[in-house]
Amino acid sequence: MIMSKQEFLTSSGVEAPTLEFWIEQQWLIPAQIDVGMRFSDTDVARARLIQDLKGDFGVNDEGVDVILHLVDQLHGLRRALEQLQRNFQGPSR
Amino acid sequence: MRNPYEVLGVASTASSADIQKIYRKLAKKLHPDLNPGDKVAEEKFKEVAGAYDLLGDAEKRKRFDAGEVDESGAERPQHHFYRDFAASDEGYPYTDNSGFADFMDRDDAFAELLKRSPRARANMRGEDLHYRLPIEFVESISGANKRLTLPDGGTLDVKIPPGLVDGQVLRLKGKGATGAGKGGPGAALIEVEVLPDHRFTRDGDDILLELPISLSEAVLGRRIRVPTPTGDVTMSVPKASNTGTTLRLKGKGAPHRGGGSGDEFVKLKVVLPKSPDPELEAFVSSWTKGKEFNPREGSLS
Repeated sequence: MIMSKQEFLTSSGVEAPTLEFWIEQQWLIPAQIDVGMRFSDTDVARARLIQDLKGDFGVNDEGVDVILHLVDQLHGLRRALEQLQRNFQGPSR
Repeated sequence: MRNPYEVLGVASTASSADIQKIYRKLAKKLHPDLNPGDKVAEEKFKEVAGAYDLLGDAEKRKRFDAGEVDESGAERPQHHFYRDFAASDEGYPYTDNSGFADFMDRDDAFAELLKRSPRARANMRGEDLHYRLPIEFVESISGANKRLTLPDGGTLDVKIPPGLVDGQVLRLKGKGATGAGKGGPGAALIEVEVLPDHRFTRDGDDILLELPISLSEAVLGRRIRVPTPTGDVTMSVPKASNTGTTLRLKGKGAPHRGGGSGDEFVKLKVVLPKSPDPELEAFVSSWTKGKEFNPREGSLS
């Protein structure tokens, strides 16, 4: 589901200034279109991860920065690994 | 669902602080987004989170202890974790390939396999673009919003964080070259060059300034205006200051990452009047103690 900024704030429970900070930090990169920002389900799930880190785990902003960067790299690696696995299985798939 | 005290492994008498501590410890280990490949972790995490929803809230815990509610009400509603999206093609804006970019550069079969993957090619992230941005010294201390004009005529708004140092590279995700397919754009890497300032120099988080003062200010002391990167401040030059006397302006240096600031050190330099002054000459020639004082004492062979 694609939502507007207002819909995102309502469904995630994030405050507007907090969201601005997150976008400034590039923790979230919503799509930019002519009439504003568009948030995907991916952005919502990522926001929930940030909320878990900050709320439940007591991670500070610097820590969130580091964790997100490593998580992003981890997913890049997982993709590469998955691709390798497919190549080994052959091009039939 | 099991008894929430058993799930967290705490005694039913545990304090709420202990429960929070245990929960954080377990949750950090089990959070599905920190264990993207572990299916079991998700189940365990849900159980632990559900138990904490019940025991972490004093009111709910009281009702549970009194038998008014049972553990079945504690299950968290189903939601998708970030990892479910990051693994799908939708997750692409955030995926970072720098974790294995070096493998792709190698000249072996493994690198060939990576490069040959049709999906990697079809959805390759755009290249990172490198830029250079000169800024004023003062801007590097107090932070600034700059606009970079790109070779293709476009512009890029760059936020300079306070306390930046010369040569630091700012990374703007998604502002690099366009990627192929769903690969998403690369990053803009902006190397910031801090231009030298004719007044200030920087030493770590501290700022050094050489400040000329007059003979009368040096001898008698006086409150004077001193420039700092964030504007002028008033400082007291104590009586009998000398060339080389260094005064500290606390917290007027560059901000630390994570709070606080360095200091500004003001090194005084006594400067005589530009044109010869008969009154000063007359005074100095009648000043016996001044003639007796030899600052080079002990330094001559």
